[in-house]
Amino acid sequence: MDRLYTLLQNRIEGVVSTPDQYHAGLLSNFGNLFHATPRLVVSPLTARDVAATVTFAREHGLTVSTRGAAHSQSRVAISDGGILLSMSSMRRILSVDASAPSVDVEAGVVWRDLVRHLAPRNLAPPVLTNNLSVTVGGTLAIAGIGVSSFKYGTQGDNVRELEVVAGTGERLVCDRKKHADLFWGSLAGLGQAGIITRARLDLRATKPMTRTYYLLYRDLRGFLHDAKLAMERGRWDHLESWASPSPQGTKPVAGRRQVFARWFYPFHLTVEFDPGHPPDDEELLRGLDPFERLYVDDLPTVDFFERMIPVFDLWKQGGTWKHIHAWIETVLPWEHAVDCIESVLPDLPPSILVGGHVLLWPARGTTSKVPFFMRPPGEDLIGFGVLPAIPARFWERARPMLENLSRMTELMGGKRYLSGYLDWTEDRWKNHFGDQWGPFTALKHKYDPHSILNPGFVPFPAAPADVRRVPGESVPAAD
Amino acid sequence: MPVLFGTSEWAHALEEGINASSEYRNAGQSWGTGFNGNILFAFEPGGAIARGSYLLLRLQEGRCLGAEFVPGPTHPDQGFALRAPFPLWLDILNGKTLAASAILTGKMRVEGNTITLLKYAGAHRSLVHCVATLDTRFPEA
Repeated sequence: MDRLYTLLQNRIEGVVSTPDQYHAGLLSNFGNLFHATPRLVVSPLTARDVAATVTFAREHGLTVSTRGAAHSQSRVAISDGGILLSMSSMRRILSVDASAPSVDVEAGVVWRDLVRHLAPRNLAPPVLTNNLSVTVGGTLAIAGIGVSSFKYGTQGDNVRELEVVAGTGERLVCDRKKHADLFWGSLAGLGQAGIITRARLDLRATKPMTRTYYLLYRDLRGFLHDAKLAMERGRWDHLESWASPSPQGTKPVAGRRQVFARWFYPFHLTVEFDPGHPPDDEELLRGLDPFERLYVDDLPTVDFFERMIPVFDLWKQGGTWKHIHAWIETVLPWEHAVDCIESVLPDLPPSILVGGHVLLWPARGTTSKVPFFMRPPGEDLIGFGVLPAIPARFWERARPMLENLSRMTELMGGKRYLSGYLDWTEDRWKNHFGDQWGPFTALKHKYDPHSILNPGFVPFPAAPADVRRVPGESVPAAD
Repeated sequence: MPVLFGTSEWAHALEEGINASSEYRNAGQSWGTGFNGNILFAFEPGGAIARGSYLLLRLQEGRCLGAEFVPGPTHPDQGFALRAPFPLWLDILNGKTLAASAILTGKMRVEGNTITLLKYAGAHRSLVHCVATLDTRFPEA
């Protein structure tokens, strides 16, 4: 038995596991690309457990990696020889305040559970991710975007207060005024300064029903024109779109025949409404010019929020959920959207999207105030996500194509969404964060001076020696 | 019978190869419309070649209107230039490196609008394939 097991178990209420005890699924994440074996897995019950674990790690020279639903695809939510904090054990919905609508939740709460908990009160978080089976702490640490982000920004923009355990082991409650640097730095902060253990989230009143208009566009420019119009009008509650391939046979690509596709652009526009007061379809759709209006769907709002669950279930049943996921999601500046998307899609084999899809999401730059959620300057933005599921034997063939895709989106001024696949050098991290790289590094050095938290992802420069000391440590005498 | 790289005979064979390629004709059908689509390929010294070779392809709308080795590293008619050491070109022709990867990682230097160039990645990949399938005798180290 690992001697540290008993020592740590004696300090916390939660459960400590050793490699012979924990589930093998903890060795990787949704990406299935990076694998690592933690020395210990901790399932904490309280923020005090988390703080005790971080302190313990520092005392014993270990690192601490955090794991929610592990939907990330890079060197995140796994640990190579350190402690893996499996936050799913902290999943209590603590309290709902319906008067100034907000909810207090532990970081391991899954958004789907929260949505169902709130639905009877016609309340919901302003922004929900497409995949609801991810945790509050996990998505806040990345940013959290969804089909209403064009109105409300990221999930991080809708947080009132956080409780965070810093890399020093301190438990800190922070908000926009108190420890504001840690508050903002924990949102889209990749868990580098601290571990979110509790969040107070804004809520909004929802209407019980939704109506979704399924429009289809046959050219990208037409879709973008209408997407911009839809954002500007302010009548829509949710906007969602894709690029969808229609295979057309094969063509030579460097001498080898490859299936190619004509791409179409489905655009789903949704409004919420009260039963008995359905929306005026013609009024809502006036000015939009799709190739075809395909379908109009009325759903209870909670079912709309959960609309992707049957799709994900299909992917699971089809076996593609276990494939490699190397998703490349980028927020693009509007002016380069056509160039970028039209240079990528013709070369994208439709088969790469079995068990995946190509997302397009219209967005507005000013809706987010989260400093470490990097996006291009400007008001109109478009998210572009190539989300493939790749059988392992095809990975080496797909990798250069996906890496080129990422580099090309960056070259065109795009900013990657960081839950996907990336394996960057320091230069690319600096380029991603731009003028926020300095503040991000300073935050890391301030709150995690010993680089205990979530190593292996962001290559920070080492903290200066005087910063690495923590309160209570003796200062070496000068020579 | 292999044709010696760097000769006018080789350039002519390449021009014919490009114009016979339906892959290039389709992928490059709007290349050079409204902009100068001529590309100078600079095979810079390295590996088997001690002196640079500079190939100018006059490309417009899926056709090659002329191919010639030119004496200097630049040409007044060029709209774009792609510059890389000869060994990297060989890696690209042998399929060990994607041309797009070489451009995006900065190993191949681009003169001209990189975004325009990358928009037509399929056309340029087809050009590379045309070169790769020519029966060529490259200089040996």
